[in-house]
Amino acid sequence: MKIFQVQRITAVALLLFMFMHIIVMHYPPREMEYSNIVYLMQFPGMKVIESLFLLSVLLHALTGSYVVLTDYQALSRLRKVFVIVLTLAGIAAFYWGALTIWTW
Amino acid sequence: MYKTTGFISFLLRRVTGVALVLYLFTHIWVIGGAVTGEATFNTRMVFLTSPLFKFLEIGLLAAVFYHGFDGLRLLLINWFKITDKRKSMFAAAFVLAALMVAAGGTLIILELIHLGG
Repeated sequence: MKIFQVQRITAVALLLFMFMHIIVMHYPPREMEYSNIVYLMQFPGMKVIESLFLLSVLLHALTGSYVVLTDYQALSRLRKVFVIVLTLAGIAAFYWGALTIWTW
Repeated sequence: MYKTTGFISFLLRRVTGVALVLYLFTHIWVIGGAVTGEATFNTRMVFLTSPLFKFLEIGLLAAVFYHGFDGLRLLLINWFKITDKRKSMFAAAFVLAALMVAAGGTLIILELIHLGG
């Protein structure tokens, strides 16, 4: 699968998941409190939605970052380095995010 | 070239995209503080509830809405093969994003005034 296809598919997924995330987590508008997170993350449906949101947003963000970085001629020879660094950053962020979602 | 709507939308999409990537990792780090306990979470939230971040939040709204509407515009143009409508759709995406930022930004400023008073 090509990068632009990943970008398109995750963009559509994000429209759906971000809408659900904003409605459930941030509506009505309020400061995010510890108790809110603990309460909301006890619902299995929320865990699944937030995990899919996390996966799609990270894929979209990291493939987008790769495209931006490698668009510059001066940096294009560092493609492999970017792939490694961005993949590691993605794994770390997904691990940390999934831990936050599935701990409760 | 640098004054075309295509270039302006490309540039704005990239700038907002990079800003959103930086915010995404910050967001994961802050909310992830909940795993280690309420005290850590609250410590990390202090910056996010400061007046400075409230202003930055208006920029965040602008980045999210512009990036989202412009991305949707690209998807629609690509799927429905309506490249002749790209300029008017860019204007529509920009105006929609501006309206959403004005609405959300007003709420944030009102909250700041309320907190200050």
